[in-house]
Amino acid sequence: MECMSQSDHAAIRAVLSGDKDAYADLVRAHARSVFRVAWRITGNEADADDVTQEAFLRGYRKLESFQSRANFGTWIYRIAVRCALDKLHSRYSEHERQALEASDGEAVSVQVADHAPGPDQLVLSGEIAAYREGAMASLTPLERAAFTLRHMEGCSSDEIAAALDLAPEAAKQAIYRAVQKLRKRLALLRVRT
Amino acid sequence: MNHLSHEELIDHVYGEGALQVAEHLETCADCAQAGRALQADLNEFPSLAALEPDTAYTERLWSTLSPQLVPYAVKRRLWLRPAFWLSLSAAVACASLIVSAFYAGRVWEHRYQPRSNASNAHLPAQQKIVVVVLSDQLDRSERLLVQLKHASADDTEMLAPMRDEAQSLLATNRKCREEAEKAGDPDLTKALDHLEQLLTQLANQPGGLNAAAISKLQDEMDAEGLLFEVRVLRSRMPDRQQLKGGAA
Repeated sequence: MECMSQSDHAAIRAVLSGDKDAYADLVRAHARSVFRVAWRITGNEADADDVTQEAFLRGYRKLESFQSRANFGTWIYRIAVRCALDKLHSRYSEHERQALEASDGEAVSVQVADHAPGPDQLVLSGEIAAYREGAMASLTPLERAAFTLRHMEGCSSDEIAAALDLAPEAAKQAIYRAVQKLRKRLALLRVRT
Repeated sequence: MNHLSHEELIDHVYGEGALQVAEHLETCADCAQAGRALQADLNEFPSLAALEPDTAYTERLWSTLSPQLVPYAVKRRLWLRPAFWLSLSAAVACASLIVSAFYAGRVWEHRYQPRSNASNAHLPAQQKIVVVVLSDQLDRSERLLVQLKHASADDTEMLAPMRDEAQSLLATNRKCREEAEKAGDPDLTKALDHLEQLLTQLANQPGGLNAAAISKLQDEMDAEGLLFEVRVLRSRMPDRQQLKGGAA
């Protein structure tokens, strides 16, 4: 774990001494990384913005419990992952899944020849991205968060487990399930094309 | 080695596979093909360049957050905390209770300790002498009464000393009775008065002490409970050693 910067440490002490404006330094230093992971997990800017705000609010309220030996960046990142997971849970419903599956059906009708780049694919790239997002949306919130952290954020299994408050083996299983579901979606697309 | 599982391939792709997995992939064409297919599928989900917020984002974020943050209260020093004063008050109350109980015990002990001890310390020297004399008088009277109680006309050797002792005690007894009367002690006065009557009869028995006289005196002594009364008075008398020490 990387050492926390002196400025982070000083800002935390100032905040805990009653200077709430010192928290602005922590927000400025870590907002971008928090927003990035929130955007990757939630998949849209508005939700990412909400998650970022919520993460920094939770961080402020729990700052007294923050261990001074820990790294604030890592700590707030984990809080952001959990906020993002909460966000996914809140919007994850059977109705939405059915709606997305219906839209997936429409996407499958899109003619995608193969992996070789061609003019048709370029024209349809937006629809492919929508299909990809549809596949991601088929994952449960936990699978999506675990896969995003693994595949896009490059986190190790242990880091994912810590961020999602899971046992390492449970984190791995979430990743396995996510990959399996995504590959099935892709296979279905290839068969139909 | 059997073919690799899906999970083992995923771990390998993400760099967490075991060394044996990598070795197996070099020798097993089927697993190598499966690994390549997995990698190709995962490449369909590129690690997209994350959406980067604009430069003003953090300031906007802070302006949204700031009104929602309540400043942490500055931790008050120990002696400024109400809990500290509550604890201190409780401790002081307990200590006061203990001290009060101890003091009350001491006062009680002083106030209700045996009267003789209390009176000794405050008696003037002259009164202490009177008390010593009275104590001695009662002591001698008790012995004489005991002798009288067990006396018989046949015991002629004892009769003369008893009469002499009665005569000796009579003058002192009269003096003590007067002092008791002056001091306003009716119990003592009454007892000494009874004693004086008996001593008078014993000292001045006409015709000497014979069996009838002794029997009569014994009856009077028993009827008035004189021996018992003298013993009670003696028990009220302060310790002689103390009186002597105090008088000195």
